[in-house]
Amino acid sequence: MATAAASSFLSPAAKFALQSRCPSAKTAPRSVRFPPVRAQQEVKEEEPAATVPPLQEEQATAAAAAAKGPAQSLPRQPLAESKNMGREYGSQWLSCTTRHVRIYAAYIDPETNAFDQTQTDKLTLMLDPTEEFVWTDETCQMVYNEFQDLVDHYEGAPLSEYTLRLIGSDLEHYIRKLLYDGEIKYNMRSRVLNFSMGKPRVKFNSSQMPDVK
Amino acid sequence: MKTMQQGWLSNWLVKHEVVHRSLGFDHRGIETLQIKAGDWDSIAVILYVYGYNYLRSQCAYDVAPGGSLASVYHLTRIQYSIDNPEEVCIKVFAQKDNPRIPSVFWIWRSADFQERESYDMVGISYDNHPRLKRILMPESWIGWPLRKDYITPNFYEIQDAH
Repeated sequence: MATAAASSFLSPAAKFALQSRCPSAKTAPRSVRFPPVRAQQEVKEEEPAATVPPLQEEQATAAAAAAKGPAQSLPRQPLAESKNMGREYGSQWLSCTTRHVRIYAAYIDPETNAFDQTQTDKLTLMLDPTEEFVWTDETCQMVYNEFQDLVDHYEGAPLSEYTLRLIGSDLEHYIRKLLYDGEIKYNMRSRVLNFSMGKPRVKFNSSQMPDVK
Repeated sequence: MKTMQQGWLSNWLVKHEVVHRSLGFDHRGIETLQIKAGDWDSIAVILYVYGYNYLRSQCAYDVAPGGSLASVYHLTRIQYSIDNPEEVCIKVFAQKDNPRIPSVFWIWRSADFQERESYDMVGISYDNHPRLKRILMPESWIGWPLRKDYITPNFYEIQDAH
């Protein structure tokens, strides 16, 4: 592939700041800070993503940004508008969006929901913005751990939408496994109740299904 | 021993000592030839000069898993008062480990998107094509989807109905 040589690569976890958010039905937003292990992880619970600014679908240019520097994080540029996706601003619009998992190669400010595309060494995960499932702290944390594991697993792969989609798909399969194991359940008061991961069944145990991962 | 019928083009090429193989006629009576990738440049120009001014279609397919890739060109002549234009079909085979075939973009413009699609689906890279990049799949896709040994990754969007 022509872009493979010039692509930036998923750097090892030490260079990553993963930021995950999980909306919840609780009204009081709490922010929990975890001690930095290998990557920093911020967990905040917030209102659903109705307040996210409309995503701009501009595609980055084919040639990727230059390789990122070593272990420091990129400097925050709060004034860089998210429209500046061109390569000269050092940013790329990379995302993977499915119903429950949204992964962006950008830094999203948790309070203002402002995108900062210049921080492409960070991946942001937005978990279930439409609130199809009922999430608790533990289940959120399970998903974040799985996300961290997946990112570590994919370390070294070129930072492209294809890789982000693989990560997103693996995360969705994990969420489906949680559903079949009974750890999470459907939110009966969601706005769109269409049981997108299978209709609820009686006495259903994932160990009896041969094709669930 | 079964001898292939040879059309006029094949005879002409034999006369001019161009190595090729005649693949006979297909069900509509269109002469089919196999031409080496090295000769394809010059033969394409010869055909254009002769009068085949319309590349009707260009496609590519994977011949067999572990085999080679084929790039197929259907050429015909478009002219005002012609009722049954002559047609010819050329197949150029390329090895899978380094599939490169000269592009005919500069001769027939309609090869632009069609060669990009062949590149996208099967992986044949066309030399001298000015903008050879993926046209159907997203640009960052890895793999050649229409090859016979391609396995779709386990994306969430591709799921069985519940």
